[in-house]
Amino acid sequence: MSNRRSTPAIVLEAVVVVAAAVGFAVAANGLSPRGLNLARDYFPQSTGRVVETHLPQPVAVSSSSTNENSEVAEIDRRIKEKGLQPMGRAETERLFHDPRYQEGLVIFIDARDQAHFAEGHIPGAYPLDRYHPDKDLAADLTPCQTADQIVVYCTGGECEDAEYTAILLREAGVPNEKLFVYGGGFEDWSASHLPLEEGARLSGLAPGGSK
Amino acid sequence: MSSTVTKAIDSAAVLARWSLGALFVYTGLEKGLDPASFLKLVRQYDLVQTPFLLNSIAATLPWFEVFCGLLLLAGIAVRGTALTLAGVLIPFTIVVWRRALVLQAARAIPFCLVKFDCGCGMGEEFICHKLLENIGMILVVFWLLAGGGRLLAWRYSLFRGNEISAANPLFSS
Repeated sequence: MSNRRSTPAIVLEAVVVVAAAVGFAVAANGLSPRGLNLARDYFPQSTGRVVETHLPQPVAVSSSSTNENSEVAEIDRRIKEKGLQPMGRAETERLFHDPRYQEGLVIFIDARDQAHFAEGHIPGAYPLDRYHPDKDLAADLTPCQTADQIVVYCTGGECEDAEYTAILLREAGVPNEKLFVYGGGFEDWSASHLPLEEGARLSGLAPGGSK
Repeated sequence: MSSTVTKAIDSAAVLARWSLGALFVYTGLEKGLDPASFLKLVRQYDLVQTPFLLNSIAATLPWFEVFCGLLLLAGIAVRGTALTLAGVLIPFTIVVWRRALVLQAARAIPFCLVKFDCGCGMGEEFICHKLLENIGMILVVFWLLAGGGRLLAWRYSLFRGNEISAANPLFSS
């Protein structure tokens, strides 16, 4: 009987708890420097226009690499579905060593968050956290306008932040023809023992903190 | 029931309340401090289509959990909080289970070998382990709903002050 009588009180209490918790949650998100903008579309729909890239595509070299190649093909398909151009590791590495990279005609954009960027990134890459673009977007647009080719990357694999960052740049006025997405991303780059930089952009710090 | 057994059950209930509260605070903070990652995980469930709703879930659910966890730790509105958490835990467990079934079909592996980050704040976990964990939490929630966890509660009930004073001489509302 006691429990039956207290049921409305518990429900009312739950309503008060929910209301207070929602208020707390909205305030916490608003105050947090990493909070989300509720009105923003973080995953804009694909343009529906599939871009045909003219870059060399990966070729299967052995049966053991079949899974890897199918994964690359899947990522490339996903990138093209968003109207963007995929770029493989070989081409990304070639651009990294291209003299135009030193002249700022080829640039890299790291679409991961600040913490991951500081832990390691492609040397000279510009940071652009698309969830908090206010800090970096304006600064990154200038080199993007002068560059001939812009390679955007994130973690790689299932990570779609590079694609959405490229779309963000496209919406900010960067021509789509200049934008490429390195689907393998940072995991592929670091697993291939290619050069890395820690800390801030152009810090010159190699992994481990040595110059 | 002897008073010793009653005391043991009361103590176990308050420990369960603290454990559940601490767990919600921890997992809520894990997600709330990195809402972008949580947003991507929530998106995988394909629960809502409008960006505003998706963002709202990802931005507020972690802090909602933190708030409820703090209430349980302090012992405020315990049964109301337990009912609220039941309303979160049960649907979420069903959603996670259904997602695991989809992944099982896609990967063609035994159900218990399905391992993924369900957005629960604990990283990647095997689904059977996750479901057992959630069932355990739901049982604790029902225990609290049934009146457990009064001991050392700051304000056990928001609206029934007299009941609390009589039940819990350590604290009065």
